[in-house]
Amino acid sequence: MIETWYIYLAAAAALVGAGLYCLLSMRNLIKLFIGIEVVAKGVSLILLATGWARKSVLVAQSLVVTFIVVEVALVATALALIINTTKHTKSLDVRKLSRLKG
Amino acid sequence: MILQITLLVGLVLFSVLAILAKDLIKSAICLAVSSLLLGVVFFRLGAPYAGVFEISVVAGLITVLFILTIALTKAEGDVRESKLARIAFPLFFVVFALIDALVMKGLLEKIPLLEAAPEAGSFSDVLWRERTFDLVGQLAVILAGVFAVLALFRKRDNHD
Repeated sequence: MIETWYIYLAAAAALVGAGLYCLLSMRNLIKLFIGIEVVAKGVSLILLATGWARKSVLVAQSLVVTFIVVEVALVATALALIINTTKHTKSLDVRKLSRLKG
Repeated sequence: MILQITLLVGLVLFSVLAILAKDLIKSAICLAVSSLLLGVVFFRLGAPYAGVFEISVVAGLITVLFILTIALTKAEGDVRESKLARIAFPLFFVVFALIDALVMKGLLEKIPLLEAAPEAGSFSDVLWRERTFDLVGQLAVILAGVFAVLALFRKRDNHD
């Protein structure tokens, strides 16, 4: 069972790595947010896979459900923020956000 | 086992495509497909409720929200990403995987395993009796999200 768990760990690490790369290198605000989503996928995968390997799927499952709810609230708020800042700066470029002048 | 590995490879592949795709709509759809695959992985790990949540909420609702945002911000034009970002991705990925494979196993051996009691009861017992505090937290987070969206989209007052 622990060998199978390493496969899940590798997949989750790949997801988190890809998401971190997106956060570090991209400039489009929506693309950055897709990177956050990819990291969140990796985290929920490793939560559930660890629960499965330790034979406590039920607790892991309830944690994953909580995590998904939090993720949805985060996405709704952040996309509303992106729409508002885009109206303000007239661009989706994250570098234009460094001028936080009114 | 082979099916599971195929699902995981597809999940990573579609997530990477979502990051590297030039068109934002395409990358939102790739994200939805990878959520779908993650939901199937959850089903096969014996967690049907998490799978249902992943497929209906993340693959459905979040994709709709993303596409709505892309449509609303389309007038502002595209952002030019640096070309280096796409070229350097495989290099970063390989280096990350190497460091991960070297460091992770040593780290994991240092962490002691907690005693895990075998679980009894059903999912609803665990969710509603043992994790009641989580449900309160979920309610608080949902309310905070609703009020944040309301506050962000309110009409401007006259004296502004």
